[in-house]
Amino acid sequence: MDMSANSAGSSGPASTSHEWHTHLSSRSWLGGILLGLAAAVLLATVLGLQMELDQRHDERAGRLESLRMLPRGEVLRPALMGFHHLGADIIWLRIVQVLGEQVVTEQDYEWLSHALDVVTTLDPLYIYAYDAGGTILAELAHRVDWSNRLLEKGMKANPAAWRLPFTLGFNYFFHLNDYVKAGEYMGQAAKIPGRPLYVDTLAARLYVEGKSPLLALQYLEIMIQQAEDPQLRAIYEDKYKEVLIARDLGTMDLALARYRQTRGRNPQTIADLVKEGFVASVPEEPFGGEYRVDPETGEIESSTHRERLRLHRPPGANSSQE
Amino acid sequence: MSTTETILQTEGLTKTFKVGFWGRHVTVLEGLNLGVQRGEVFGFLGPNGAGKTTTIKILMGLIYPTGGRATVFGRPVGDSRAKARVGFLPESPYFYDYLTAAEFLQFYGHLFSLRGAALEKQVTELLDMVGMSHAKNMQLRKFSKGMLQRVGIAQALINDPELVVLDEPMSGLDPVGRKEIRDLILRLKERGKTVFFSSHILHDAELLCDRVAIILKGRMVACGRVSELVGEGATRSVEMVVEGLSSEGLEHLRPLAEKLLIQGNQVLVVLSNQQQVGNALEIVRIAKGSVVSVTPQKGSLEELFIREVKGTQSSSREGQ
Amino acid sequence: MRVLSIAFNTFRENIREKLLYNLLIFALLMIGSSILLTRLTVGEWDRLIINLGLSSINFFGVLIAIFVGISLVSKEIDKKTIYTILSKPVPRYEFLLGKYLGLMITLFVNTVVMVAGLLAVMAYLNAPVTLLLFEALGFIFLELMVITAVALLFSTFTSATLSAIFTLAIYAVGHLSTDLKQFGAQMDSVGKAALNAIYYVLPNLERFNLKGQVIHHVKISGTDVLLTTAYGLAYAGLLLVLASIIFQRRDFQ
Repeated sequence: MDMSANSAGSSGPASTSHEWHTHLSSRSWLGGILLGLAAAVLLATVLGLQMELDQRHDERAGRLESLRMLPRGEVLRPALMGFHHLGADIIWLRIVQVLGEQVVTEQDYEWLSHALDVVTTLDPLYIYAYDAGGTILAELAHRVDWSNRLLEKGMKANPAAWRLPFTLGFNYFFHLNDYVKAGEYMGQAAKIPGRPLYVDTLAARLYVEGKSPLLALQYLEIMIQQAEDPQLRAIYEDKYKEVLIARDLGTMDLALARYRQTRGRNPQTIADLVKEGFVASVPEEPFGGEYRVDPETGEIESSTHRERLRLHRPPGANSSQE
Repeated sequence: MSTTETILQTEGLTKTFKVGFWGRHVTVLEGLNLGVQRGEVFGFLGPNGAGKTTTIKILMGLIYPTGGRATVFGRPVGDSRAKARVGFLPESPYFYDYLTAAEFLQFYGHLFSLRGAALEKQVTELLDMVGMSHAKNMQLRKFSKGMLQRVGIAQALINDPELVVLDEPMSGLDPVGRKEIRDLILRLKERGKTVFFSSHILHDAELLCDRVAIILKGRMVACGRVSELVGEGATRSVEMVVEGLSSEGLEHLRPLAEKLLIQGNQVLVVLSNQQQVGNALEIVRIAKGSVVSVTPQKGSLEELFIREVKGTQSSSREGQ
Repeated sequence: MRVLSIAFNTFRENIREKLLYNLLIFALLMIGSSILLTRLTVGEWDRLIINLGLSSINFFGVLIAIFVGISLVSKEIDKKTIYTILSKPVPRYEFLLGKYLGLMITLFVNTVVMVAGLLAVMAYLNAPVTLLLFEALGFIFLELMVITAVALLFSTFTSATLSAIFTLAIYAVGHLSTDLKQFGAQMDSVGKAALNAIYYVLPNLERFNLKGQVIHHVKISGTDVLLTTAYGLAYAGLLLVLASIIFQRRDFQ
């Protein structure tokens, strides 16, 4: 079918066509090598600079910086043009990253508090952010005021979330020793449908007992059970052990008082209390330490937690603490 | 033919495209051999989808061939030194419509490193040549299709090329516009340019081309001088119109005619070959009739084209 | 010179586009509106002007970079004008470079106009102009350079719509890539490797964001400015080389 256009055109043998092909491919081959080389050099430069810049900047500081420099939620929200929920998620993830660090300074917590405010302004229905954020601020940052502010903000926006008054009640109970307020909040939680049954029990007991170690332990058991995050659970578990210490110390304080009454002096060691039959046994220190008694002052303490958890005895229970 | 120089050549040019999601291979060009000589107007003909534009894009370095070779001025296609001597107008382009005609040509001039007064002069001359001087400072968005095509050709000529390649320069134009483009092509030929253009309109090619190539489904089916191609195997019939013929004369004419059509006073006689014209005229003279016209029916590219299309169809049917 | 001709032609195309003026006017209105907003706010009002000004300049710059960038090449192919250019003695990479430079000129002029607006507002309100502000503006322009190169790269092998989607995705992920690396650190080795790779390969656009530093007057060191500039330029260069490689192999059907 093919007809050659002219005599000159058809004279080219197959070999020249082959040669020409190799000629073309060698040209493009060289160009390709050059471009590929340029790409490789530039890629190496980009990666090198990326790493160099990473090293120059403390990443953690950078992340904290990014939280600190977050614009206010009210400003950020319109700027995200409908993507504020995603924004809330991303900031929340950054908060979690920062918390995962080894050392978090007090100043860091100030920025965290701001970031939590931004997250909950972007997404006011983000109950977990209020709840976990409230716990972080109270337990890790030791800023119950910030924690309460966040939780109260959450309660306004989410009146149907029983966790928020529940955690607020916890703050008043443990940190502020305000049992009336704690009871009020627990009562609020007990009115919200969907709450677990123990909320009602706790609320009732709070009104009656105030802060007893047993109630505290029960409260904490619930918190441990409810905590989804292992970090949060660890916080509560520590707290639980601290309350155990407080309970043990309370029990032994009573024994010590009886010892002094009977013997007219302090015991030399804690073992004396057992040997001479004032207590059945010395309880195990939950952190793996031991309980000691100071023979001079008659003060009893834990080897791991010198500071005593301030425990309130409900009226009627005799106390040597207050 | 011996003194001519082949400035554009393809040998066994083949192109397959991958189409669709599955990358099915479709052969658009298969073993195309072409040669265009200096100074000629070469028509590259074929129906739509035959592979004309693909060939031209390969020649312009816009598409890479799958096989075969193509050279322009003896250099592989895509070579800048060859490109510098070529002018090209693609099929129905939509030019930068925010530019004026002058700005448009200046821009292309810059691509050939033309500047200053020389460029200014070239732009003025070209606009004059394509008859667009009046629209020099008009934005291209206000141009008609024909005007765009003319500045398009001016754009192809900005570097004073030796070879001008035009892809379907006449398509989409009205008869006046087509005539203008044809005149332009002839003027280019007068100036010693080689013109290679594609078209699916055979009439244009017949009027313009020294030589044509016809491709169908990516294969070349005919190539040569128009007169040679249409002469080959075409039946030379003659149409004669006669007036006032007696019925006796009519009876004498009937055996000579291939076809005879009586319309009132006039008779249309179709003679199968030229040899019979003399006899027929003699009969008319004797019968005292008068001859209105004698028209030899030349074969046309159209006929050739249709014949070839039918040929490929039947051969492909046989193949199946 | 050919590159500059193509660049200038692209710039001319852009400035004869009405959309650009609409965007520019809108951006200037936003910057100007900070005059009104400062009357409403209490304390640190210059912070609001800078915030709004830098954000507008950044936002509209990115908008133009993406939506003009993706059509740089595809428009030329659709209108077949690319055939007339590439059939001239213009190597393909010169064409790409010219188109890129053209849009960068447009973006530069555009940014200068917006910055002039911002400075006018700041002068009117007697807000202090710091070196840091100009560093932040320079970094915004670096980000625009990278994003334009991303858009150009995509437009060399895919449709305008897909290019827009991909470029927007890179823009979004580019601002979150540090977070990606963090998430990776908490995953298993495969996830970690994957996210690390993404982190190092994708542009880290957050590096070019100095808006917070300007507001809080946190100075950045000269070396950081230099390294970040080098990073931006190298990244844009890398994208342009990749675009050239792809573009060189392409058939214009």
